[in-house]
Amino acid sequence: MAKLTIADLKKIKDKVHSETSLRAGEHRAKVTVHMGTCGVATGARAVMDSLMGAISEANVSDVIVTTSGCAGLCSQEPMVTVELTGQSPIVYGNIDANKMRQIFMRHVMQGEVQTPFAIAKV
Amino acid sequence: MKAGNGEVDIQKEFTAGQLAKLDDIIKKFKDKPGALIPVLEEAQMVLQFLPMPILRVIAKGLNLPLSRVYGVVTFYSFFTMTPRGKHTLRVCLGTACYVRGGKSIMEAIQKELGVKEKETTPDRLFSLESVRCLGACGLAPVIVITEDVHGRMKTQKVKEILSPYREETVPA
Amino acid sequence: MKVFRSHFLICGGTGCHASGTAKVKKALIEEIDKRGLSKDVKIVETGCNGFCALGPIMVAYPEGVVYMSMKPEDMPELVEEHLVKGRILQRLLYKEPTTKEIIPAMNDIPFFALQELRVLRNRGLIDPENIDEAIARDAYSGMAKALTEMTQEKIIQEVLDSGLRGRGGAGFPTGLKWRFCFQSPSDVKYVLCNADEGDPGAFMDRSVLEADPHAVLEGMVIAAKAIGSHTGYIYCRAEYPLAIHRLNVAIAQAKEYGLLGKDILGTGFDFDLQIYQGAGAFVCGEETALMTSIEGKRGMPRTRPPFPAIAGLWQKPSILNNVETFANIAQIILKGASWYNAVGTEKSKGTKVFALTGDVNNVGLVEVPMGTTLGTIVYDIGGGIPRGRKFKAAQLGGPSGGCIPAEHLNAPIDFERVAELGAIMGSGGMIVLDEDKCAVDMARFFMDFVQDESCGKCTPCREGTKRMLEMLTNISQGKGKEGDIELLQEMAGIIKNASLCGLGQTAPNPVLSTIRYFRDEYEQHIRDKRCKAVVCSALFKSPCQHTCPAGMDVPAYIALIRSGRFEDAYKIMLQTNPLPSVCGRVCDHKCQSKCRRGKLDEALAIKFLKRFITDNAPRPKISPVSVTRKEKIAVIGAGPAGLTAARDLARRGYKVTVFEELSEPGGMLRWAIPAYRLPREILASEINDNIKSLGVEIKCNTRVGKDISFEQVGKDFDYIFLAPGAQKSQPMGVPGENLKGVYGGVEFLRDFNANEEAWLSGKKTIGSKVAVIGGGNSAIDAARVALRLGADVTILYRRERKDMPAADEEIVAAEDEGVKIEYLVAPLKIAETAGKVNGITCQRMKLSEFDRSGRKKPAPIAGSEFTLSVDAVIAAIGQTSDMTFVTKDSGVTVNKWSTFDLAKGSKSQTTNPKFFTGGDALTGPDTVIGAIQAGHQAASDMDSHIRKINSEPAYVEPPEDKIEIPFIIDEETVEAPQAKMPEMHGPERKRNFKEVELGYLREVAIQEACRCLRCDAEIG
Repeated sequence: MAKLTIADLKKIKDKVHSETSLRAGEHRAKVTVHMGTCGVATGARAVMDSLMGAISEANVSDVIVTTSGCAGLCSQEPMVTVELTGQSPIVYGNIDANKMRQIFMRHVMQGEVQTPFAIAKV
Repeated sequence: MKAGNGEVDIQKEFTAGQLAKLDDIIKKFKDKPGALIPVLEEAQMVLQFLPMPILRVIAKGLNLPLSRVYGVVTFYSFFTMTPRGKHTLRVCLGTACYVRGGKSIMEAIQKELGVKEKETTPDRLFSLESVRCLGACGLAPVIVITEDVHGRMKTQKVKEILSPYREETVPA
Repeated sequence: MKVFRSHFLICGGTGCHASGTAKVKKALIEEIDKRGLSKDVKIVETGCNGFCALGPIMVAYPEGVVYMSMKPEDMPELVEEHLVKGRILQRLLYKEPTTKEIIPAMNDIPFFALQELRVLRNRGLIDPENIDEAIARDAYSGMAKALTEMTQEKIIQEVLDSGLRGRGGAGFPTGLKWRFCFQSPSDVKYVLCNADEGDPGAFMDRSVLEADPHAVLEGMVIAAKAIGSHTGYIYCRAEYPLAIHRLNVAIAQAKEYGLLGKDILGTGFDFDLQIYQGAGAFVCGEETALMTSIEGKRGMPRTRPPFPAIAGLWQKPSILNNVETFANIAQIILKGASWYNAVGTEKSKGTKVFALTGDVNNVGLVEVPMGTTLGTIVYDIGGGIPRGRKFKAAQLGGPSGGCIPAEHLNAPIDFERVAELGAIMGSGGMIVLDEDKCAVDMARFFMDFVQDESCGKCTPCREGTKRMLEMLTNISQGKGKEGDIELLQEMAGIIKNASLCGLGQTAPNPVLSTIRYFRDEYEQHIRDKRCKAVVCSALFKSPCQHTCPAGMDVPAYIALIRSGRFEDAYKIMLQTNPLPSVCGRVCDHKCQSKCRRGKLDEALAIKFLKRFITDNAPRPKISPVSVTRKEKIAVIGAGPAGLTAARDLARRGYKVTVFEELSEPGGMLRWAIPAYRLPREILASEINDNIKSLGVEIKCNTRVGKDISFEQVGKDFDYIFLAPGAQKSQPMGVPGENLKGVYGGVEFLRDFNANEEAWLSGKKTIGSKVAVIGGGNSAIDAARVALRLGADVTILYRRERKDMPAADEEIVAAEDEGVKIEYLVAPLKIAETAGKVNGITCQRMKLSEFDRSGRKKPAPIAGSEFTLSVDAVIAAIGQTSDMTFVTKDSGVTVNKWSTFDLAKGSKSQTTNPKFFTGGDALTGPDTVIGAIQAGHQAASDMDSHIRKINSEPAYVEPPEDKIEIPFIIDEETVEAPQAKMPEMHGPERKRNFKEVELGYLREVAIQEACRCLRCDAEIG
């Protein structure tokens, strides 16, 4: 590895900082993928992968992804809840990888609720 | 330390491989300033203990008077001139461990092994030592067997903790 | 960019590793892989998180929750709950030791929340073996600034302005040290880091090196630039393998990045450093000894001057700073001196890291602003003392330091204040000692340490520490002599003045400091051969016997129970205690608080076993002793002290007459303690069979000062034992306390016990709502009696439950019966209608600073007043003696606390040699067993005094029947709790005065007796 300069130091800092900012606590949104038995059976895993891929591509570091167990509405699985900081959570049903990507780009990044997939406002 | 203590036949006590390693260590540090202590540390890692003839080899190799080497070895508690057991059992008697009952742990272990501090069991399985703080005060009282730290010790646990080390006994 | 939805930061410090981090981490990774979640979660092993006591610990982000005391078998559930179901696994969260509240988030746990992290800012947040993570948190930015934007003078000035003082112990200003070295001309200079953390009980340096090694390296480069050095050493003790490993990794990574070595960051500045392993000699923590050691010699200190800044390592100008000092440097440079010194006290700036250990709930690493009080560290951050024990002292500065006792819990901790209190800041080891630690033993422990580690160069240190150790060992073995304390102090002065290095100069500190604060303990060891903490085992047979004020041979009677020899057990008890069936019921059983079994599971039920004997064996017959002595003795007061003295004196052949004001003997046992705790007939028969039977005459209904004058007693008798007790309630000092319906605690109990029929038949009534003020046993007794009279009872206590002086079992029993207790409430005034109580106005209290006893003082909360409507108020806040019977010209002096003054050097003789005293009238309210002991003491003192005057030989106890004590111990000890005392059912007992505790059955008693560890049989 080449020796660093002061500018390199800053680059490393910025790069790693975004990777570890999860530990800092502030976030713009929290996305919950419901991964109960039924969720997983209907493809929640693919939804999760799609979401993680989208986050990575968008290079954002302030979106928290979490999971939860069965939401009790098995017929609507896979389900995802998006909660923008300071707003009410929106629950989406029958989500697949593509819809997930769309929800992420539109709702999480731009703040437009994707009403066609939404099933409830909690 | 008594005069004459530490006189052993090094050909019998150590393998040729060990002695060759000792030569390498001496060579590695030979012309560096302050070489003696690092040489002794590495030598002890290879040989387990540093009897008189080894000190002579080191003194000659580093071109130092034997008295200087002997003085350093006996000054620092890390070095030993007598053989150690297969497992070194160190009981922490730092303040935090003392306050939480380290002394009674030491007594229980002495009773269990039948040796006193700084002694080795006749089967050369355990050498018993006390140490002044391992910095694991959060787990006081603490004992260390070879490199395994056992924290929150109780006297009743002594037997149980020693047993796995005993089962691996190899004839000395 | 690789994104993870969760980061798990598992602590990989030495403490957590020893608790099993590696196995837990392996199990975690396996489980995550098994469930296909490895893409979602990043697992990072960090350096020490500081909360070592509850390791292994792991922080899960983004939630910020912290899991503690994890085991490999917990991992499937943890992954299932946390990662799959998105729920927090409750059972692995932190539970606050005092409130039992569960706190999930790390930053809400008081241990973490009250800290100010500067040196430890990266702990638990970064992977210490990954330089990029350190850089992300500003590592090497301070260095970059120092190398590119600052001159040497400017760096030194910044450090000087920050007020940073050496964190190794002495507190020398770091900037000044650097300036001296900077001004010392030489081509070769050295920067040395002292990581030879030899103070037992200190591990902050290890932790910094393990958690954030780059902070230390960076500080060293900045120092190198400031003084003009290009070579450095880190002297690290060999006992810290993980720290050495992490340092090696950090150095290699920094070199690879060009942050160490030649041409750092392209600035043209060179600095290289290596690690030097110490070989186990405490003295090498001293700066000149450390340098001698690096030179490859025996680590002995050198004389100063020349100071290391002029001629240090290999006679070249050198600076030596401690790990924590270096870890502060980069932030000072980056953020500026004024940022740094905004925190701290006038002369001690910034923060200090403490290794908080010993008898404290939250053992771990704590970083707080200089000036934080000791009480905040021990109680708020440390969570207080385990097992409800009392705080005795905090030991600071290890073998060079001293103790800070409970009376200074409010002291702000900084360099100056700590020194004033006789300790030193040292490297920051703070060892909490509870009441079970002996001051003499601690002094001996540290002296043993320093005499062992003395390098031997200076004679006063080499020989003096040996001699002091010898004396301390003698004192701890009961071989101390008068004058030893003064001699220790004198020798300490010589060693301090005549030693070359810090080790010798500070070696006597632990002794001086313990003498300063705990001189009484030294005196007890020397004069009474007593160790009240029950540590110095040469002084006693067993902890229980040593703790019992009357010295009852507990192991003996318990062994006899085990063998079924109950009558012999009874005989053993009577040797030291004339009232065992009383003590079997109402003793405060100090013996049990020191029982070694208590450290294993629960203390032995000594009190219950005592009662079992008296319930189940025939009382040994006591025959009258004929009067053989001419001196006539009067005892004033037929309480336990008076009765015991009367019995002892009668046994020695004296004619004894006891004067008692009330209609029956027993004192508080008869007139204050309610019958449901101590049935009347049991007390009466014990007094009859064990005391009256000896020939003691008890004159009831005879108040001295009224029915017979004090002078008359003085004329009629040769010697008088004054044991009037303390049966007058203290006033509360609030308006309205003289109203009808306001009672003193003991007055109420006495009235009830004297007029039981009137109270029970309703001729006398207390009303339907009663408030009892106070938290002692009398308050609880009064409350439970009022409850049995049909009242709704509320106890008002101004502190917290744990501060209540009443026995815990009494408080529990009162609650079980339906007594309500309000804590942190104090009375303000008592309200009335027509001269009769109708309410009590109170104020809520909050706890403020600590008082001298180490309890937090209650302070009123403004505007929190409230009124309870009540029909009666019982004030049981303390008692004093009624000394009106003592005439002024009698030569017996009574002091302002209404207790008797003693003649100099005596334990029972008053200022008039004819009069002796003991019990509550001497000490203030104490326990039954304390009174019994006082009776023994006075009887023995009176008899010795008489024999001395008559030039007779000392009294010899007549030989008693030899009772063989069986010796049976179980080979293995199996954990088992104390046997429960069967009780009358709550609702059933609420309306009557029958005895609540029913007594052990034979099998239960024998089984309980088998739990005894027989400490008395310990060999050597």
